Amino acid sequence: MSNTRNLQQKLQTEIVELTKSINEIISNFKQLKNPIQESQVKVPMATNQLDKISEQTEAATNHMLDLIENISIREEEVIKGLTAIKKLMPKDNEKINNLLDGVIEKTNINVNDAFTIMNALQFQDITSQQMNHAASLLEEIETKLTQICTVFGIDPETSEEEPRDKKERVYDPHADLYEKKTEQKDVDSMFDQVKK
Amino acid sequence: MGDFKILAVDDSPTMRRIIINTLKRAGYQDVIEAQDGKDALAKLKVEKVNFIITDWNMPEMDGLTFVSTLRSMEEYKNLPVLMVTTRSVKEDIVEAMKAGVNNYIVKPFTPDTLKAKIEQILAS
Repeated sequence: MSNTRNLQQKLQTEIVELTKSINEIISNFKQLKNPIQESQVKVPMATNQLDKISEQTEAATNHMLDLIENISIREEEVIKGLTAIKKLMPKDNEKINNLLDGVIEKTNINVNDAFTIMNALQFQDITSQQMNHAASLLEEIETKLTQICTVFGIDPETSEEEPRDKKERVYDPHADLYEKKTEQKDVDSMFDQVKK
Repeated sequence: MGDFKILAVDDSPTMRRIIINTLKRAGYQDVIEAQDGKDALAKLKVEKVNFIITDWNMPEMDGLTFVSTLRSMEEYKNLPVLMVTTRSVKEDIVEAMKAGVNNYIVKPFTPDTLKAKIEQILAS
């Protein structure tokens, strides 16, 4: 009899403890519910923002490329024109010839600088890959949040933003403007070794 | 460089424009473009190309699959291919070599490197 009573008492204590724990879990979960719902809206918003940055940077870069190409064409026309003028000028007019040479030289520098700026715009391809990588990580988090909501029966928070189609994201996870995993000279050595 | 035609394959319109401008400045005036491997294979059906510059990370068909596909086709077995990509992990470079690229440039590249690599491939 006393054994049974002991067991009953132990069981009662365990049930009380268990109820306390369950209440604690429910209370914690209630606290988590709102941030989870909030994140379900904010994570896709962050992904959208990254996509917007990518698209707008690409548009701006292409506009810059248009301008650079036009500048180069105009500057090359200026060089041609000045060279033609120089040919028409009397050879002995040293002052004008020197002046023309100076302008041609400066115009050539402008063309080269425009070309250097154009090459620097390669950053857009690299940063776009980095943003695609970040967006893809956010999409993974979004999927996991949805799974948590499904498991715990949390209603998804409705967003004011239009639902977007999932993009196919292609990127190199190591794309970097300044740090290459293998430097070009080492790539060259690898190819040289194969040739030998 | 009369009939010499280069095909530049890259999904980034910015990169394609930079590559094409660099090639034209280096004297290669005849350059056509494609946005991925699938598009490039379609272009190759209608245009005779002497040299290919391709990116790796592209939708539809990536550069590696594109090069492997080319090497499996008799007519493109020996067509020079230069890969220009951000991928700089050693294992990736080895994979590209196995797929059959003739040379490899890590982005961002300098115009001199691009010109030198093309000349190097054509000389070999």
